[in-house]
Amino acid sequence: MSIQLWALAVAGIVVLAVAGLEVYRSARARRLVAGATGEPSAEPYIIYFTGEGCTVCRTHQEPALAKLGAVRVDKVDAVAERELADRFHVYTLPTTVVMSPDGRALHVNYGYAPATKLDRQLAQARNGSALESTATA
Amino acid sequence: MALTTVDHSALKVNQTGIVATVLVAFIGSYFFRPLLVLIPLLAVVLLLGTFAPQLALFKQLYFKVLKPRGIVKPRPVQDRPEPHNFAQGLGGVFLAVSSLFLYFGTPASASTLLVIGLAIALLVAVLAFVNLAFGYCLGCQIYYQLGKRGLIRA
Repeated sequence: MSIQLWALAVAGIVVLAVAGLEVYRSARARRLVAGATGEPSAEPYIIYFTGEGCTVCRTHQEPALAKLGAVRVDKVDAVAERELADRFHVYTLPTTVVMSPDGRALHVNYGYAPATKLDRQLAQARNGSALESTATA
Repeated sequence: MALTTVDHSALKVNQTGIVATVLVAFIGSYFFRPLLVLIPLLAVVLLLGTFAPQLALFKQLYFKVLKPRGIVKPRPVQDRPEPHNFAQGLGGVFLAVSSLFLYFGTPASASTLLVIGLAIALLVAVLAFVNLAFGYCLGCQIYYQLGKRGLIRA
C-alpha cells in the first residue's frame, strides 16, 4: 500500500475517533444536564449561550432565534457567566437550552440549532417531554 | 474586546487555499514526491499571515485580485478576527509539525514518519473544509475553551 493510502487511513481513523468522542461528550453532557434547573416562567423559554468570538452565533443561530417570534430568549455570554455555562455543561458555542415553564432543562442543543428544530422542541416543552440532546456543531 | 467587521469571503478564500494546496501536495506527491514541499510552504504562509495580515497570501489574493474584479463578492460580518487568526495560526503550527515529520521521513527507511506527516496535513485540510462547508471552526472552539479557562483573553 502506498504512503498516501496509509496516510489517508490514519487521518480517517483520527476523524472517526474524534467523531466518536464528540458523540460521547454530547451524551455525557446530556446526562449531566438532566438535573439542571433555571427560573420558572409562564411559557417555555430558551437560554442561548454565546460569546463574542462565536461567528456561527451571529451568522446562523441569531437569525434562527429571530424566526421563532414571541419566544423569550435569555442571551448569556458563556465566558462572562461561566458558572451558568458550567451548570448546563456548555462545551461549544452556540448552545441553546429549551426550558420548561417550571424551569427544567428539556432540550439541549450543542452547536447550531435551526429554527424548525427549536420550534419543535418548544412545542414539546409546551406539552411536556423528556430531555433530548444533540450535537450539531 | 469590541466587534469589528470581518470579511468572511476572505476567510473562505483562505480555507479554499489551504484545502487546495494540501490536496495538490497529497495527490501530486504520489506521482512527484518533491511536491511535498508545498506543505512547509503552506505552514510558512499561514504562520506569517497570522502575525502579519498583509503577508497572508490567500487573503491578499482575495483583497487584491478576486474582490476588485468581482470574482468573489464580499461578505462583511460583525465579528472578532482573533478566533479566526488563532485558528489559522493553529493550522500553521500543525502544518509545521507535519513538515518536520515529512523532512525526517524522506529517506525510504522512515516511511512511518512520512505517513504521520501526511496524515497531519490531511487533518488540517479536513478541518479547513469543515469550516468552509459547514461553518464549524474547531480552532475558534479551542480559542473559546482557552478563554473560558482564562488562558487567553477571549
